[in-house]
Amino acid sequence: MDAQDIQFDMTRPLPETQPWSVAFWENAKEGKLVVQHCKDCNTNIFYPRKICPECWSKNLDWIEASGKATVYMFSTAYDMVEPRFWEDIPYTIAYVDLEEGIRMMTRIVDCKPEDIKIGMTVEVVFKKLNDDFYLPYFKPVESK
Amino acid sequence: MSHGKIAIIGIGEVPTRIMPERTRWDILYDVCTEAIRDSGLDKNDIEGVINVAPQAQPKLAAELSFGKLPEELGLKGCKDNCTCNAGGASTSNCIRLAEQYITSGLAKAVLIPHVTVHSTVKPEDLISFFAKAGVDMQWEYPFGTTYNILMGMMANRYMHETGAKPEHMASVVTALRSWSSRDPNSFFYNKEVPSPEKVFSSSLLNTPLHKRESNILCDGGSAMVIVSADVAKKMKKPAAYKLGESVRYFSGTPVLRDFHKVAEGLSLTGVEAMKEAGVTKEDIDLWNIYMAYPMNHPIMAEALGIAPIGEGAKYFYDGRMSFGGDIPWSTIGDAPGRGHTGSGVSTAMYVETARQLMGKAGERQVKDCKYVYQNTAGGSGFNNIGTVWGRDL
Repeated sequence: MDAQDIQFDMTRPLPETQPWSVAFWENAKEGKLVVQHCKDCNTNIFYPRKICPECWSKNLDWIEASGKATVYMFSTAYDMVEPRFWEDIPYTIAYVDLEEGIRMMTRIVDCKPEDIKIGMTVEVVFKKLNDDFYLPYFKPVESK
Repeated sequence: MSHGKIAIIGIGEVPTRIMPERTRWDILYDVCTEAIRDSGLDKNDIEGVINVAPQAQPKLAAELSFGKLPEELGLKGCKDNCTCNAGGASTSNCIRLAEQYITSGLAKAVLIPHVTVHSTVKPEDLISFFAKAGVDMQWEYPFGTTYNILMGMMANRYMHETGAKPEHMASVVTALRSWSSRDPNSFFYNKEVPSPEKVFSSSLLNTPLHKRESNILCDGGSAMVIVSADVAKKMKKPAAYKLGESVRYFSGTPVLRDFHKVAEGLSLTGVEAMKEAGVTKEDIDLWNIYMAYPMNHPIMAEALGIAPIGEGAKYFYDGRMSFGGDIPWSTIGDAPGRGHTGSGVSTAMYVETARQLMGKAGERQVKDCKYVYQNTAGGSGFNNIGTVWGRDL
Protein backbone atom coordinates (compact mmCIF):
# COMPACT_ATOMS: atom_id res chain seq x y z
CA MET A 1 0.00 0.00 0.00
CA ASP A 2 1.37 3.42 -0.93
CA ALA A 3 1.34 6.22 1.61
CA GLN A 4 -0.90 8.30 -0.66
CA ASP A 5 -3.56 5.56 -0.50
CA ILE A 6 -3.94 5.95 3.25
CA GLN A 7 -6.74 8.25 4.32
CA PHE A 8 -5.54 9.93 7.50
CA ASP A 9 -7.80 12.22 9.49
CA MET A 10 -5.90 15.50 9.38
CA THR A 11 -8.44 17.58 11.31
CA ARG A 12 -7.36 18.98 14.66
CA PRO A 13 -9.07 17.04 17.49
CA LEU A 14 -11.23 19.04 19.86
CA PRO A 15 -11.72 18.25 23.56
CA GLU A 16 -14.63 15.87 24.11
CA THR A 17 -16.46 17.78 26.82
CA GLN A 18 -18.94 16.78 29.49
CA PRO A 19 -21.69 19.09 30.78
CA TRP A 20 -19.73 19.74 33.96
CA SER A 21 -16.52 20.66 32.13
CA VAL A 22 -17.99 23.25 29.75
CA ALA A 23 -17.23 26.10 32.17
CA PHE A 24 -13.51 25.25 31.98
CA TRP A 25 -13.50 25.78 28.23
CA GLU A 26 -15.76 28.85 28.40
CA ASN A 27 -13.26 30.46 30.78
CA ALA A 28 -10.34 29.41 28.57
CA LYS A 29 -11.98 31.35 25.75
CA GLU A 30 -11.79 34.41 27.98
CA GLY A 31 -8.12 33.80 28.74
CA LYS A 32 -8.77 32.44 32.22
CA LEU A 33 -7.42 29.15 33.59
CA VAL A 34 -9.91 27.86 36.14
CA VAL A 35 -9.83 24.95 38.53
CA GLN A 36 -12.89 23.10 39.80
CA HIS A 37 -13.27 23.49 43.56
CA CYS A 38 -15.35 21.60 46.11
CA LYS A 39 -16.97 24.07 48.52
CA ASP A 40 -17.71 21.33 51.05
CA CYS A 41 -14.30 19.67 51.47
CA ASN A 42 -12.19 22.50 50.02
CA THR A 43 -10.53 20.27 47.41
CA ASN A 44 -9.20 21.58 44.12
CA ILE A 45 -10.17 19.06 41.45
CA PHE A 46 -8.55 18.12 38.14
CA TYR A 47 -9.95 17.03 35.84
CA PRO A 48 -13.47 18.42 36.44
CA ARG A 49 -16.05 15.87 37.63
CA LYS A 50 -19.80 15.70 38.05
CA ILE A 51 -19.30 15.21 41.79
CA CYS A 52 -16.30 15.80 44.04
CA PRO A 53 -14.12 12.67 43.86
CA GLU A 54 -13.12 13.18 47.51
CA CYS A 55 -16.48 13.65 49.28
CA TRP A 56 -19.08 13.13 46.49
CA SER A 57 -20.47 16.61 47.10
CA LYS A 58 -22.28 18.36 44.24
CA ASN A 59 -21.48 21.73 45.81
CA LEU A 60 -18.82 22.51 43.20
CA ASP A 61 -17.53 25.85 41.95
CA TRP A 62 -14.59 27.26 39.99
CA ILE A 63 -11.60 29.27 41.13
CA GLU A 64 -9.31 31.20 38.84
CA ALA A 65 -5.78 29.83 38.87
CA SER A 66 -2.72 32.05 39.01
CA GLY A 67 -1.59 30.54 35.73
CA LYS A 68 1.85 29.79 37.18
CA ALA A 69 3.16 26.21 37.24
CA THR A 70 6.32 24.11 37.35
CA VAL A 71 7.28 21.41 34.88
CA TYR A 72 7.04 17.96 36.50
CA MET A 73 8.07 15.94 33.45
CA PHE A 74 8.13 16.34 29.70
CA SER A 75 9.02 14.78 26.35
CA THR A 76 9.66 16.45 23.02
CA ALA A 77 8.22 14.69 19.97
CA TYR A 78 10.26 14.48 16.76
CA ASP A 79 8.55 11.54 15.04
CA MET A 80 5.79 8.88 15.25
CA VAL A 81 2.92 11.15 16.19
CA GLU A 82 -0.48 11.07 14.54
CA PRO A 83 -0.47 12.65 11.07
CA ARG A 84 -2.86 15.35 12.30
CA PHE A 85 -0.02 16.64 14.54
CA TRP A 86 2.81 16.35 11.99
CA GLU A 87 2.86 20.06 11.22
CA ASP A 88 3.64 20.84 14.87
CA ILE A 89 6.80 18.69 15.13
CA PRO A 90 8.90 19.20 17.16
CA TYR A 91 6.60 19.88 20.07
CA THR A 92 6.88 19.26 23.78
CA ILE A 93 4.23 17.57 25.90
CA ALA A 94 4.54 18.10 29.65
CA TYR A 95 2.85 17.53 32.97
CA VAL A 96 2.86 20.79 34.93
CA ASP A 97 2.05 21.33 38.60
CA LEU A 98 -0.15 24.39 39.18
CA GLU A 99 0.19 26.54 42.26
CA GLU A 100 -3.34 25.41 43.13
CA GLY A 101 -2.07 21.87 43.76
CA ILE A 102 -3.23 20.13 40.62
CA ARG A 103 -1.28 18.54 37.75
CA MET A 104 -2.34 18.81 34.12
CA MET A 105 -1.06 17.85 30.68
CA THR A 106 -0.07 20.66 28.37
CA ARG A 107 2.42 21.79 25.78
CA ILE A 108 5.45 23.92 26.54
CA VAL A 109 5.78 26.64 23.90
CA ASP A 110 7.71 29.80 23.07
CA CYS A 111 11.11 28.29 23.81
CA LYS A 112 13.62 25.86 22.31
CA PRO A 113 12.95 22.22 23.28
CA GLU A 114 16.50 21.88 24.60
CA ASP A 115 15.89 24.73 27.06
CA ILE A 116 13.02 22.93 28.80
CA LYS A 117 13.95 21.52 32.20
CA ILE A 118 12.12 19.65 34.93
CA GLY A 119 11.29 22.14 37.68
CA MET A 120 11.29 25.23 35.47
CA THR A 121 8.62 27.85 36.11
CA VAL A 122 6.05 28.34 33.37
CA GLU A 123 2.90 30.39 32.87
CA VAL A 124 -0.27 29.78 30.92
CA VAL A 125 -0.93 31.01 27.39
CA PHE A 126 -3.95 30.00 25.36
CA LYS A 127 -3.80 28.44 21.90
CA LYS A 128 -6.90 28.90 19.77
CA LEU A 129 -8.23 25.71 18.15
CA ASN A 130 -11.49 27.25 16.90
CA ASP A 131 -14.05 29.75 18.17
CA ASP A 132 -15.08 27.39 20.98
CA PHE A 133 -11.83 25.91 22.22
CA TYR A 134 -8.60 27.44 23.45
CA LEU A 135 -6.06 24.96 24.83
CA PRO A 136 -4.04 25.99 27.90
CA TYR A 137 -0.39 25.83 26.87
CA PHE A 138 2.49 27.02 29.06
CA LYS A 139 5.61 29.05 28.30
CA PRO A 140 8.69 29.76 30.40
CA VAL A 141 8.23 32.74 32.69
CA GLU A 142 11.68 33.93 31.63
CA SER A 143 10.53 34.30 28.00
CA LYS A 144 8.28 37.27 28.73
CA MET B 1 -6.77 -15.45 47.65
CA SER B 2 -5.46 -17.70 44.93
CA HIS B 3 -2.74 -19.72 46.62
CA GLY B 4 -2.33 -23.13 45.07
CA LYS B 5 -5.79 -23.48 43.54
CA ILE B 6 -5.00 -23.68 39.83
CA ALA B 7 -2.22 -24.64 37.45
CA ILE B 8 -1.31 -24.16 33.80
CA ILE B 9 -1.09 -27.67 32.41
CA GLY B 10 -0.81 -27.06 28.65
CA ILE B 11 0.60 -24.35 26.40
CA GLY B 12 0.59 -23.56 22.68
CA GLU B 13 2.11 -20.76 20.65
CA VAL B 14 2.95 -19.66 17.12
CA PRO B 15 5.99 -17.53 16.24
CA THR B 16 5.43 -13.78 16.47
CA ARG B 17 6.04 -12.44 13.00
CA ILE B 18 4.62 -10.06 10.41
CA MET B 19 2.69 -12.56 8.29
CA PRO B 20 -0.55 -11.22 6.79
CA GLU B 21 -1.11 -14.52 5.01
CA ARG B 22 -1.61 -16.21 8.39
CA THR B 23 -5.25 -15.49 9.34
CA ARG B 24 -6.51 -14.96 12.86
CA TRP B 25 -8.49 -18.19 12.84
CA ASP B 26 -5.50 -20.02 11.37
CA ILE B 27 -3.52 -18.96 14.43
CA LEU B 28 -6.35 -19.75 16.83
CA TYR B 29 -6.66 -23.29 15.48
CA ASP B 30 -2.91 -23.84 15.86
CA VAL B 31 -2.40 -22.44 19.36
CA CYS B 32 -5.55 -23.99 20.84
CA THR B 33 -4.98 -27.48 19.47
CA GLU B 34 -1.34 -27.35 20.56
CA ALA B 35 -2.24 -26.22 24.09
CA ILE B 36 -4.94 -28.87 24.54
CA ARG B 37 -2.69 -31.63 23.16
CA ASP B 38 0.12 -30.41 25.42
CA SER B 39 -2.20 -30.63 28.43
CA GLY B 40 -2.84 -34.33 27.83
CA LEU B 41 -6.59 -33.70 28.00
CA ASP B 42 -9.18 -34.50 25.37
CA LYS B 43 -10.72 -31.55 23.53
CA ASN B 44 -14.08 -32.38 25.06
CA ASP B 45 -12.59 -32.03 28.57
CA ILE B 46 -12.43 -28.24 28.01
CA GLU B 47 -15.49 -26.92 29.84
CA GLY B 48 -14.77 -23.21 29.68
CA VAL B 49 -13.24 -20.82 27.14
CA ILE B 50 -12.11 -17.38 28.30
CA ASN B 51 -10.74 -15.28 25.45
CA VAL B 52 -8.10 -12.60 25.86
CA ALA B 53 -9.74 -9.58 24.24
CA PRO B 54 -8.10 -8.74 20.92
CA GLN B 55 -7.31 -5.03 20.61
CA ALA B 56 -7.98 -2.99 17.43
CA GLN B 57 -9.77 -6.00 15.86
CA PRO B 58 -13.49 -5.36 16.48
CA LYS B 59 -14.81 -8.08 14.17
CA LEU B 60 -12.73 -10.78 15.84
CA ALA B 61 -13.58 -9.41 19.28
CA ALA B 62 -17.28 -9.81 18.49
CA GLU B 63 -16.81 -13.32 17.09
CA LEU B 64 -14.91 -14.49 20.17
CA SER B 65 -17.18 -12.73 22.65
CA PHE B 66 -20.25 -14.28 21.08
CA GLY B 67 -19.00 -17.83 21.37
CA LYS B 68 -17.50 -18.87 18.03
CA LEU B 69 -14.34 -20.56 19.25
CA PRO B 70 -15.79 -23.62 21.07
CA GLU B 71 -17.92 -24.25 17.98
CA GLU B 72 -14.99 -23.93 15.54
CA LEU B 73 -12.88 -26.37 17.58
CA GLY B 74 -15.71 -28.75 18.35
CA LEU B 75 -15.30 -28.45 22.11
CA LYS B 76 -18.33 -30.60 22.87
CA GLY B 77 -17.94 -30.33 26.65
CA CYS B 78 -17.82 -26.54 26.74
CA LYS B 79 -20.30 -25.05 29.20
CA ASP B 80 -19.53 -21.36 28.72
CA ASN B 81 -17.45 -18.81 26.82
CA CYS B 82 -16.57 -15.17 27.45
CA THR B 83 -14.02 -12.51 26.64
CA CYS B 84 -12.10 -10.41 29.13
CA ASN B 85 -10.64 -6.99 28.36
CA ALA B 86 -8.25 -5.13 30.65
CA GLY B 87 -5.69 -4.24 27.98
CA GLY B 88 -2.32 -5.79 28.78
CA ALA B 89 -3.78 -7.11 32.03
CA SER B 90 -6.47 -9.09 30.21
CA THR B 91 -4.70 -12.43 30.54
CA SER B 92 -4.29 -12.02 34.30
CA ASN B 93 -8.03 -11.50 34.54
CA CYS B 94 -8.74 -14.44 32.24
CA ILE B 95 -6.71 -16.59 34.64
CA ARG B 96 -8.65 -15.20 37.62
CA LEU B 97 -11.90 -16.01 35.83
CA ALA B 98 -10.62 -19.49 35.06
CA GLU B 99 -9.95 -19.93 38.76
CA GLN B 100 -13.54 -18.89 39.46
CA TYR B 101 -14.89 -21.29 36.81
CA ILE B 102 -12.84 -24.11 38.36
CA THR B 103 -13.33 -23.46 42.08
CA SER B 104 -17.08 -22.89 41.61
CA GLY B 105 -17.37 -26.26 39.92
CA LEU B 106 -18.45 -24.81 36.58
CA ALA B 107 -15.44 -26.19 34.71
CA LYS B 108 -12.72 -28.76 35.26
CA ALA B 109 -10.50 -27.35 32.48
CA VAL B 110 -10.44 -23.89 30.92
CA LEU B 111 -8.85 -22.77 27.65
CA ILE B 112 -7.44 -19.23 27.44
CA PRO B 113 -6.51 -18.22 23.86
CA HIS B 114 -5.18 -15.03 22.34
CA VAL B 115 -4.55 -13.92 18.77
CA THR B 116 -3.62 -10.61 17.18
CA VAL B 117 -2.92 -9.91 13.52
CA HIS B 118 -1.86 -6.31 13.16
CA SER B 119 -0.58 -6.62 9.61
CA THR B 120 -4.02 -6.73 8.02
CA VAL B 121 -5.46 -3.82 9.98
CA LYS B 122 -5.53 -0.60 7.94
CA PRO B 123 -2.56 1.59 8.98
CA GLU B 124 -4.80 4.58 9.65
CA ASP B 125 -6.94 2.47 11.98
CA LEU B 126 -3.90 1.15 13.85
CA ILE B 127 -2.44 4.62 14.25
CA SER B 128 -5.75 5.99 15.44
CA PHE B 129 -6.27 3.11 17.91
CA PHE B 130 -2.85 3.38 19.53
CA ALA B 131 -3.06 7.18 19.65
CA LYS B 132 -6.29 7.14 21.62
CA ALA B 133 -6.27 3.98 23.76
CA GLY B 134 -5.57 4.75 27.41
CA VAL B 135 -5.46 8.51 26.82
CA ASP B 136 -8.11 11.01 27.97
CA MET B 137 -9.95 12.49 25.00
CA GLN B 138 -10.58 15.81 26.69
CA TRP B 139 -7.54 16.53 28.84
CA GLU B 140 -4.72 14.76 26.99
CA TYR B 141 -5.40 13.73 23.40
CA PRO B 142 -6.00 17.25 21.98
CA PHE B 143 -2.46 18.23 23.03
CA GLY B 144 -0.96 15.59 20.71
CA THR B 145 0.26 13.01 23.19
CA THR B 146 1.03 9.37 22.33
CA TYR B 147 2.03 6.20 24.22
CA ASN B 148 5.62 6.89 23.20
CA ILE B 149 5.42 10.40 24.66
CA LEU B 150 3.89 9.15 27.92
CA MET B 151 6.73 6.66 28.31
CA GLY B 152 9.27 9.29 27.30
CA MET B 153 8.04 11.64 30.01
CA MET B 154 8.31 8.91 32.64
CA ALA B 155 11.81 8.03 31.46
CA ASN B 156 12.85 11.68 31.61
CA ARG B 157 11.59 11.92 35.17
CA TYR B 158 13.36 8.68 36.15
CA MET B 159 16.62 9.90 34.63
CA HIS B 160 16.20 13.25 36.39
CA GLU B 161 15.72 11.60 39.77
CA THR B 162 18.37 8.90 39.48
CA GLY B 163 21.00 10.37 37.21
CA ALA B 164 20.69 7.35 34.90
CA LYS B 165 22.50 7.93 31.63
CA PRO B 166 20.94 7.48 28.17
CA GLU B 167 23.27 4.56 27.39
CA HIS B 168 22.13 2.87 30.60
CA MET B 169 18.49 3.23 29.53
CA ALA B 170 19.33 1.96 26.03
CA SER B 171 20.98 -1.12 27.53
CA VAL B 172 17.56 -2.45 28.59
CA VAL B 173 16.88 -3.15 24.91
CA THR B 174 20.20 -4.96 24.66
CA ALA B 175 19.21 -7.17 27.61
CA LEU B 176 15.72 -7.90 26.28
CA ARG B 177 16.99 -8.65 22.77
CA SER B 178 19.67 -10.97 24.18
CA TRP B 179 16.80 -13.22 25.29
CA SER B 180 14.53 -12.77 22.27
CA SER B 181 17.37 -13.56 19.87
CA ARG B 182 17.28 -17.05 21.41
CA ASP B 183 13.49 -17.40 21.36
CA PRO B 184 12.09 -19.09 18.21
CA ASN B 185 8.73 -17.47 18.90
CA SER B 186 10.10 -13.93 19.03
CA PHE B 187 10.21 -11.50 16.12
CA PHE B 188 13.91 -10.90 16.76
CA TYR B 189 14.85 -14.60 16.88
CA ASN B 190 18.31 -15.15 15.47
CA LYS B 191 18.72 -11.41 14.88
CA GLU B 192 21.68 -9.33 15.96
CA VAL B 193 21.56 -8.09 19.55
CA PRO B 194 22.13 -4.33 19.33
CA SER B 195 24.67 -2.77 21.67
CA PRO B 196 23.49 0.09 23.90
CA GLU B 197 25.42 2.41 21.62
CA LYS B 198 23.55 1.12 18.56
CA VAL B 199 20.21 1.51 20.34
CA PHE B 200 21.15 5.00 21.45
CA SER B 201 22.29 5.99 17.96
CA SER B 202 18.96 5.11 16.32
CA SER B 203 16.72 8.02 15.43
CA LEU B 204 15.02 9.96 18.20
CA LEU B 205 11.23 9.53 18.32
CA ASN B 206 10.62 11.69 21.35
CA THR B 207 13.01 12.49 24.14
CA PRO B 208 14.62 10.31 25.40
CA LEU B 209 13.02 7.43 23.40
CA HIS B 210 14.89 6.14 20.34
CA LYS B 211 13.51 4.09 17.48
CA ARG B 212 15.09 0.88 18.78
CA GLU B 213 13.49 1.48 22.19
CA SER B 214 10.03 1.42 20.64
CA ASN B 215 7.91 -1.57 19.63
CA ILE B 216 7.25 -3.28 16.31
CA LEU B 217 3.61 -4.21 15.77
CA CYS B 218 3.46 -7.90 14.90
CA ASP B 219 1.11 -10.86 14.50
CA GLY B 220 1.00 -13.73 16.94
CA GLY B 221 -0.97 -15.92 19.25
CA SER B 222 -0.75 -18.27 22.20
CA ALA B 223 -2.99 -20.32 24.45
CA MET B 224 -2.98 -22.14 27.75
CA VAL B 225 -5.08 -24.74 29.52
CA ILE B 226 -5.87 -24.23 33.21
CA VAL B 227 -6.98 -26.95 35.62
CA SER B 228 -7.21 -27.18 39.39
CA ALA B 229 -3.97 -27.70 41.26
CA ASP B 230 -5.27 -31.03 42.52
CA VAL B 231 -5.99 -32.25 39.00
CA ALA B 232 -2.56 -31.10 37.83
CA LYS B 233 -0.93 -33.02 40.68
CA LYS B 234 -2.84 -36.18 39.81
CA MET B 235 -1.87 -35.89 36.14
CA LYS B 236 1.82 -36.10 37.17
CA LYS B 237 2.82 -33.75 34.36
CA PRO B 238 5.05 -30.69 34.48
CA ALA B 239 2.83 -27.74 35.38
CA ALA B 240 2.94 -24.15 36.60
CA TYR B 241 1.06 -23.64 39.87
CA LYS B 242 -0.29 -20.22 40.76
CA LEU B 243 0.94 -19.46 44.27
CA GLY B 244 0.30 -15.79 44.92
CA GLU B 245 -1.11 -12.58 43.53
CA SER B 246 -1.47 -8.92 44.37
CA VAL B 247 -2.70 -5.88 42.45
CA ARG B 248 -2.86 -2.10 42.66
CA TYR B 249 -4.97 0.30 40.60
CA PHE B 250 -3.31 3.60 39.74
CA SER B 251 -5.45 5.73 37.42
CA GLY B 252 -7.24 5.57 34.10
CA THR B 253 -5.92 8.94 32.97
CA PRO B 254 -2.13 9.07 32.70
CA VAL B 255 -1.75 12.62 34.02
CA LEU B 256 -3.31 11.55 37.32
CA ARG B 257 -0.77 8.73 37.69
CA ASP B 258 1.75 9.89 40.25
CA PHE B 259 5.25 8.61 39.46
CA HIS B 260 6.09 7.75 43.08
CA LYS B 261 2.75 6.11 43.85
CA VAL B 262 3.21 3.87 40.82
CA ALA B 263 6.68 2.88 42.05
CA GLU B 264 5.21 2.20 45.49
CA GLY B 265 2.45 0.09 43.90
CA LEU B 266 4.95 -1.94 41.90
CA SER B 267 6.80 -2.62 45.14
CA LEU B 268 3.74 -3.50 47.23
CA THR B 269 2.31 -5.91 44.67
CA GLY B 270 5.63 -7.72 44.64
CA VAL B 271 5.84 -7.93 48.42
CA GLU B 272 2.24 -9.08 48.81
CA ALA B 273 2.30 -11.64 45.99
CA MET B 274 5.50 -13.20 47.33
CA LYS B 275 4.11 -13.23 50.88
CA GLU B 276 1.01 -15.08 49.73
CA ALA B 277 3.20 -17.54 47.85
CA GLY B 278 5.36 -18.06 50.93
CA VAL B 279 8.57 -17.10 49.15
CA THR B 280 11.06 -14.27 49.31
CA LYS B 281 12.72 -12.48 46.44
CA GLU B 282 15.78 -14.63 47.01
CA ASP B 283 13.68 -17.66 46.06
CA ILE B 284 12.62 -16.26 42.68
CA ASP B 285 14.52 -17.86 39.80
CA LEU B 286 13.03 -15.76 36.98
CA TRP B 287 11.63 -12.23 36.96
CA ASN B 288 9.24 -12.37 34.01
CA ILE B 289 8.53 -8.67 33.79
CA TYR B 290 6.02 -7.13 31.40
CA MET B 291 6.39 -3.38 30.98
CA ALA B 292 5.69 -2.99 27.22
CA TYR B 293 8.43 -0.33 26.99
CA PRO B 294 12.07 -0.90 27.96
CA MET B 295 12.50 2.24 29.96
CA ASN B 296 10.14 1.06 32.72
CA HIS B 297 12.17 -2.05 33.47
CA PRO B 298 14.74 -0.26 35.68
CA ILE B 299 11.89 1.25 37.70
CA MET B 300 10.48 -2.24 38.26
CA ALA B 301 13.90 -3.66 39.18
CA GLU B 302 14.24 -1.02 41.87
CA ALA B 303 10.64 -1.35 43.08
CA LEU B 304 11.11 -5.10 43.58
CA GLY B 305 14.31 -4.52 45.52
CA ILE B 306 16.44 -6.33 42.97
CA ALA B 307 18.50 -3.24 42.24
CA PRO B 308 19.20 -0.43 44.70
CA ILE B 309 17.17 2.74 44.17
CA GLY B 310 18.71 4.70 41.32
CA GLU B 311 20.80 1.81 40.00
CA GLY B 312 18.22 -0.19 38.02
CA ALA B 313 19.40 1.02 34.63
CA LYS B 314 23.03 0.42 35.61
CA TYR B 315 22.18 -3.21 36.40
CA PHE B 316 20.93 -3.64 32.82
CA TYR B 317 23.99 -1.84 31.45
CA ASP B 318 26.23 -4.24 33.40
CA GLY B 319 24.47 -7.18 31.71
CA ARG B 320 23.01 -8.65 34.88
CA MET B 321 19.54 -9.08 33.30
CA SER B 322 20.87 -10.25 29.92
CA PHE B 323 21.08 -13.86 28.74
CA GLY B 324 23.94 -15.33 30.79
CA GLY B 325 23.58 -12.72 33.53
CA ASP B 326 22.92 -13.52 37.17
CA ILE B 327 19.32 -12.14 37.21
CA PRO B 328 17.16 -13.96 34.59
CA TRP B 329 14.68 -11.35 33.39
CA SER B 330 11.86 -11.29 30.79
CA THR B 331 13.10 -14.30 28.90
CA ILE B 332 11.03 -13.63 25.76
CA GLY B 333 12.33 -10.06 25.71
CA ASP B 334 9.02 -8.38 26.67
CA ALA B 335 7.33 -6.43 23.86
CA PRO B 336 10.54 -4.80 22.59
CA GLY B 337 12.05 -8.24 21.97
CA ARG B 338 9.02 -10.40 21.27
CA GLY B 339 7.21 -7.95 18.97
CA HIS B 340 4.04 -6.16 20.06
CA THR B 341 0.85 -8.22 19.74
CA GLY B 342 -1.60 -5.96 21.57
CA SER B 343 -2.76 -7.66 24.74
CA GLY B 344 -0.97 -10.81 23.61
CA VAL B 345 2.48 -10.01 24.94
CA SER B 346 1.30 -10.68 28.48
CA THR B 347 -0.42 -13.90 27.33
CA ALA B 348 2.86 -14.98 25.80
CA MET B 349 4.66 -14.14 29.01
CA TYR B 350 2.35 -16.41 31.05
CA VAL B 351 3.02 -19.12 28.48
CA GLU B 352 6.74 -18.49 28.98
CA THR B 353 6.34 -18.63 32.77
CA ALA B 354 4.74 -22.06 32.35
CA ARG B 355 7.35 -23.11 29.78
CA GLN B 356 10.20 -22.26 32.14
CA LEU B 357 8.59 -24.03 35.10
CA MET B 358 7.83 -27.06 32.90
CA GLY B 359 11.50 -27.11 31.84
CA LYS B 360 10.72 -26.64 28.16
CA ALA B 361 12.43 -23.30 27.42
CA GLY B 362 15.32 -24.68 25.40
CA GLU B 363 18.38 -22.43 25.20
CA ARG B 364 16.66 -19.86 27.43
CA GLN B 365 15.86 -22.40 30.15
CA VAL B 366 16.62 -20.96 33.58
CA LYS B 367 18.49 -23.65 35.50
CA ASP B 368 16.42 -25.49 38.10
CA CYS B 369 13.58 -22.99 37.73
CA LYS B 370 11.28 -23.41 40.75
CA TYR B 371 9.65 -20.00 41.15
CA VAL B 372 8.74 -17.26 38.66
CA TYR B 373 7.52 -13.79 39.49
CA GLN B 374 5.40 -12.36 36.70
CA ASN B 375 3.58 -9.07 36.40
CA THR B 376 1.16 -7.57 33.90
CA ALA B 377 -0.28 -4.09 33.50
CA GLY B 378 -3.16 -2.73 31.48
CA GLY B 379 -3.82 0.27 29.25
CA SER B 380 -1.12 2.86 29.45
CA GLY B 381 -0.34 1.56 32.95
CA PHE B 382 -3.60 1.86 34.88
CA ASN B 383 -2.66 -1.01 37.21
CA ASN B 384 -0.05 -3.60 38.07
CA ILE B 385 -0.75 -7.25 38.81
CA GLY B 386 2.03 -9.28 40.41
CA THR B 387 1.86 -13.08 40.48
CA VAL B 388 4.10 -15.87 41.72
CA TRP B 389 4.13 -19.25 40.03
CA GLY B 390 5.88 -22.44 41.11
CA ARG B 391 6.66 -25.78 39.53
CA ASP B 392 5.25 -27.46 42.64
CA LEU B 393 2.60 -26.58 45.19
